[in-house]
Amino acid sequence: MIWSVAWKNIWRNKKRSLVVIFAVTLGIIAGVLLVGIMEGWFRERLDSAIYNEVSHIQIHNKEYVKNEEINLTVRNPDETAQSIDSLPGLSAWVKRTKIIAMANTPWANTGVLIYGIDPEKEKSITNIYKKIVTDGGRYLTAQNPGDILISDKTAEILKLKQYLISDSIIRELAVKKVPATVLAKLETLKDKRFRSPKDFREVLKKEFSKKELDRYGPLITEKALDYRIRNKIQISISDREGNPIQGIFRVCGIYKTTNTGFDQTAVFVNAGELAKLYGGDDLLTHEIAVLLDNMDQAEVMKEKLSHISGENTVRTWKELAPDAAMMNDFMIIYYFIFLGIIMLALAFGIINTMLMTILERTKELGMLMAIGMNRRRIFGMIMLETIFLTFVGAAAGMLSGWTIIKILGRTGIHFAGWGEGFEAIGYAAKVYPVVTPEFFVFTTIMVITTAIISSLWPARKALKLNPVDALRTV
Amino acid sequence: MNVLVLKLVNKIYNASEVKVHAVKDVTIDFAEAEFTCIVGPSGSGKTTLLNLIGGLDMPTSGEIIIGGTNLSKLKSSQLIDFRLNNIGFVFQSYNLIPVLTALENVEFILLLQKKTKAERQHRAIELLTQVGLGDKLHKRPGELSGGEQQRVAVARALASRPRFILADEPTANLDTKSTENLLEIMEKLNHEEAMTFIFSTHDARVVNKAHRVITIEDGRVKSDVEQLPH
Repeated sequence: MIWSVAWKNIWRNKKRSLVVIFAVTLGIIAGVLLVGIMEGWFRERLDSAIYNEVSHIQIHNKEYVKNEEINLTVRNPDETAQSIDSLPGLSAWVKRTKIIAMANTPWANTGVLIYGIDPEKEKSITNIYKKIVTDGGRYLTAQNPGDILISDKTAEILKLKQYLISDSIIRELAVKKVPATVLAKLETLKDKRFRSPKDFREVLKKEFSKKELDRYGPLITEKALDYRIRNKIQISISDREGNPIQGIFRVCGIYKTTNTGFDQTAVFVNAGELAKLYGGDDLLTHEIAVLLDNMDQAEVMKEKLSHISGENTVRTWKELAPDAAMMNDFMIIYYFIFLGIIMLALAFGIINTMLMTILERTKELGMLMAIGMNRRRIFGMIMLETIFLTFVGAAAGMLSGWTIIKILGRTGIHFAGWGEGFEAIGYAAKVYPVVTPEFFVFTTIMVITTAIISSLWPARKALKLNPVDALRTV
Repeated sequence: MNVLVLKLVNKIYNASEVKVHAVKDVTIDFAEAEFTCIVGPSGSGKTTLLNLIGGLDMPTSGEIIIGGTNLSKLKSSQLIDFRLNNIGFVFQSYNLIPVLTALENVEFILLLQKKTKAERQHRAIELLTQVGLGDKLHKRPGELSGGEQQRVAVARALASRPRFILADEPTANLDTKSTENLLEIMEKLNHEEAMTFIFSTHDARVVNKAHRVITIEDGRVKSDVEQLPH
């Protein structure tokens, strides 16, 4: 019955209670969204780090880690590979050649890290083959040995990401209901080739009003994009004796991950074709990348692989992608800080409301003490009222937050304006928020703790009442 | 047999710099099933005396002994339990819990006594029927008249089967009809439940119903007379 009384008491002043409940609901929704976005970003980053970049474990020559020279290959790669095959708990592994190179086109050049891979085997360990952009060609194949797969960013640097307005594009835009006035302006740009996104953006800015640009700019840019697939790239490396050598590759495809830092340097070719360039009899193995069945086993597997691979260095994803590892380790602390700040703000609102409630019910509390309600029960009743008040808001907040996260988890949130900035530090511009059941358990504990702490002051104030004085109040 | 004994009870308030001697050397005995009225002008010390008897306030000196228990010797928590089991209160402004129904208000005190739900309901319905509210068990205080609310308060005071009922000007906010009705009920319960009723009042109609009238002036007992109720 005390529970029932406490529940009824919170509805005495409906408007005031609803304001507090609404505040708690909004606070929890904000917390759920904030953490959902953080978790979504983190998962995206972790997935990108593991499935595009570093895998779970990598094996290198100890010296290669310090100085990425062509001769510093993994020691005894074949024996190491055979031993890896016999280990349980491994999902897949690949050997790679990795050489620092210079990539040149007639218009620009840039330093790259060229990966010599087995395209088919690589599919079992990285998702790069799934990251080919629209109208960006295709993934590497063994049948086209002279191909090179580069990123959107590298294409931009090497001026292979070009823009061209043609008759067919103008027709396509007309079908998409782009106004004739805009199409007429595009006619003036017809058949002109722009060798960088920046050049094209500037021309569009000159030709179109801000309104037209906001409305049709992204569509025009998308349609005018023309990756120079099959364009030649000259790759320059040093051979095993340190002599400079060059080779020509043709762009077969353009990929794009969420980490611009990785994209800016990583280019992929067939390992055999790279071997022809550096003139080795055997394929050089600079890196063995391993994917595990369970990433939590990374440290255990590292120990085993260290034992197998002798003088080589074995590193886990936590060492190879320390930013992702840090996020993984500190996520719970981030949750605690975010929710802690929200709860602290809410606690003051709850305390204020409960103090007002105590003030208004002074006479009644005096009566309850007079007729024999002991302090423990009065304390419990005030605490229950605070918990109910907080928990109704929290439950509504968690339900609403969960629903919003479910919707946004499907549609994603595109931070278009800050996309380049996010991708530069390895995070996706489009995030798919996600929250775990553990988060809701954690939030529930935080809410109950906040409610209990918030109830202490009002409850203590109620206990300090003198029944005689309290009964005299109006 | 005396259920309540006051021996040379004094109460001095030290509010601000002026000492107020609210109750002076009061010595009174109350017998079981008495129907006693304490009268006196405003500020004479009636309410203070009732608060002292009810254990809501402690005397500055003197002793208040209820059924052999000296209230001054009890700890705060013991005093609350003592009030719960020995004293029923009826307040001038009813003081019912507004969010609870008449039945729940009466049940509430039995809940504090840790009675089972069945016991609570049986006793609460019995008492509310006795005070003529058997058909308004599920009405909230806001839906009842002043007289009806005060009858619920009387039923609540009786619910815990206390040794006596203390009522501080119970009819002050009631009209004539409700006052008569309430007095009849209190008198009836005084007989049926054999409980001691002590109430303070200004109301001549209430005084006329009392078996004993104690007059207080300036904190002292001016007179203490037994009378036949009119």
